[in-house]
Amino acid sequence: MESINEIKRDVLSAVLAAGKRIDSRGMYDYRKIVVQPGILQNAEGSAMASIGKSQVMVGVKFDIAKPFLDRPKEGVLSTSADLLPLASHLFETGPPSEDAIELARVVDRGIRSSNTIDLESFYLEEEKVLALYVDIYVLDHDGNLIDCSSLAAMSALLSSRMPKIENGSIVRGEYSGKLPLKEHVVTCTFGKIGERMFLDPSLDEEKGMDCRLTLATTSTHLCAAQKGGWGTYSERDITELLDISTEKGKELRAML
Amino acid sequence: MGATGKEKPKLYESGRRVDGRGLADLRGIKIESRVLNDADGSAYIEWGKNKILAGVYGPSECIPRHDQSLYRSVIKCRYNMAPFSGMEEHGRSGPSRRSKELSKVIKEAFESVIISENFPKTQIEIFVEVLQSDGGTRCAAVTAAAVALADAGIPMKDLISAVAVCKIDGHMAVDPGKEEDNFGESDMPIAFSPRTGEILLFQMDGLLSREELSEGISLARQASEKIRKIQVEAIAKVYQEPKEERFLVIK
Amino acid sequence: MIDLAENRIVMPGELLSEKPERISYAFVDKGKTYSTVVGLFSEGKLVPLEGPYEPLPDDLIVGIISEVKFSGYSVEINAPYVSFLSSREIRERYEMGDAVFARVDRVDEVKNIDIADAKKLPVGRLVKVSSVKIPRIIGKKNSMIDMLKSATACDIYAGRNGYVWIAGKGNQTLAEKAIRMIETQAHTHGLTDRVAVYLKSQQ
Repeated sequence: MESINEIKRDVLSAVLAAGKRIDSRGMYDYRKIVVQPGILQNAEGSAMASIGKSQVMVGVKFDIAKPFLDRPKEGVLSTSADLLPLASHLFETGPPSEDAIELARVVDRGIRSSNTIDLESFYLEEEKVLALYVDIYVLDHDGNLIDCSSLAAMSALLSSRMPKIENGSIVRGEYSGKLPLKEHVVTCTFGKIGERMFLDPSLDEEKGMDCRLTLATTSTHLCAAQKGGWGTYSERDITELLDISTEKGKELRAML
Repeated sequence: MGATGKEKPKLYESGRRVDGRGLADLRGIKIESRVLNDADGSAYIEWGKNKILAGVYGPSECIPRHDQSLYRSVIKCRYNMAPFSGMEEHGRSGPSRRSKELSKVIKEAFESVIISENFPKTQIEIFVEVLQSDGGTRCAAVTAAAVALADAGIPMKDLISAVAVCKIDGHMAVDPGKEEDNFGESDMPIAFSPRTGEILLFQMDGLLSREELSEGISLARQASEKIRKIQVEAIAKVYQEPKEERFLVIK
Repeated sequence: MIDLAENRIVMPGELLSEKPERISYAFVDKGKTYSTVVGLFSEGKLVPLEGPYEPLPDDLIVGIISEVKFSGYSVEINAPYVSFLSSREIRERYEMGDAVFARVDRVDEVKNIDIADAKKLPVGRLVKVSSVKIPRIIGKKNSMIDMLKSATACDIYAGRNGYVWIAGKGNQTLAEKAIRMIETQAHTHGLTDRVAVYLKSQQ
């Protein structure tokens, strides 16, 4: 309800101006994070992650598919996100919203551009490659779904088993080792209201903030970024937040 | 019945079913109530290898307005399977004909127990997400949704549950697993109101004699009493061990 | 106070009496009385442990102005229905998003709700709790809410509808956390003492 958002912004501005947060966290502290890998048996990979009261499940499935025309020697990586109507009174049934599409694409970009998955190894034969589906299932929404989804996705990939292939098709229920991964990609999302920046915005903070910046990192590089919202960042803001992301990334990777 | 190209295995031999159960034995069932934060009520059920989450919102303003009733709350249900829920290929997004039908029969089962006259012009929404499927998802969905509705404090005339019965190698058995679902001779999901004994959801396919029908219903009725106990324990646990944090923990 | 230590939890459809009786949150079928909710049952009284807010005349509630209309205001009150506050009733003027403390004046059979005696609340934060927990947050003779106010130095308005408004220069975060604690443990024995200990430990 929009009238309630207005209250949030007033209170948020006042609290943040005093250098505090409404739930008394530090500016660059995450809420409590829990990661549960390998929770499903039918899927080739799976995990749940929660940050505060946000909860996200990710399932990984393999199929046989045709390669894209411009990349005939590479497998297919496809990431989608469902903002389930049971997760929030703000979500509705129906085709994916722009928020769901943005969420899936940001998580996808981090995984893809880090080259953590060797898609060339998914080539089977002419016109036949493996397709890897990463499905983000948002179960509970209390803000910062991007970081929560990235953690769940990375954990699900780490738990993934390679399917066994026989005569050009997948033998379900049998596996040929783990999915090889080169990097552990994590994202850090920062909110901004006025001149104040803070890590891991809760839903209350998201409702009142001017903008957010998500930085996806490997242990050595920035690999994807996304700014959202109407507010602005300076170049200095961005480099400063990258330094913090690099530090915080270590904490997140330790949970995977 | 279901054809997966595999040979039909022996489903009932020397008093044991394929997974070792007897004819009146349920698979393992675990229910956890209140696992979500934003939903007004929620429940998670593990039933065999099924893993299903139910969330309830409402009563809230009925949208769109032309769905409203001046006399009662409108009950809506969405049963949905996650694209990663099955053993086979990645699922398609969007509701299938099957999931639309199941949404309808689940909704209708609850329409007779929810006291909807208290809340004219509103809606009560039931959302079911099948995270992993193992045969019998609709019955597990009804059982979990009933707990989620109770958790939301929606007034109801009863705490309902559902279970299927099947016919395997000529024997009536309760709670078919995936293989019995695929190769059994008949499948009959039933939801009961334990207070009145009335049947709220009833579907059937395959061939059954009149005697087999009665035997099946009575098997299901006995099983649903066991299921109700598990539901009650899950609801009571929320208050016996109160927790500020709500988490879905999957083992 | 009805709590779990001395009372049993009843489920929807559970038998409360072999006779037809008028009990809130219960119904009569074939001459017997059954519960409709998960609740605590004691001496003919059924207290639901969860449930939506159903407005009744004279409830004191916290509402948020959601629309400014020609003849008054639409006010969101945590019910499935938006309420109406007529401008004839009030001297103040409100804007969208203002919080008010008010009284439910009238509820008709199709749930049109009029509220009255509104008073604008100072800038603060809204905490949403289940409306059935509000009596415990207020406590016997205001004991709980008075303790919260003095320990946190906040102004706290607990609306019967489940909206709790926290204002003032005190420790609002602590007030919110204590309210969450009461909400979760509302049905347990010795809660007032535990809240007192918690508030002291956080000061």
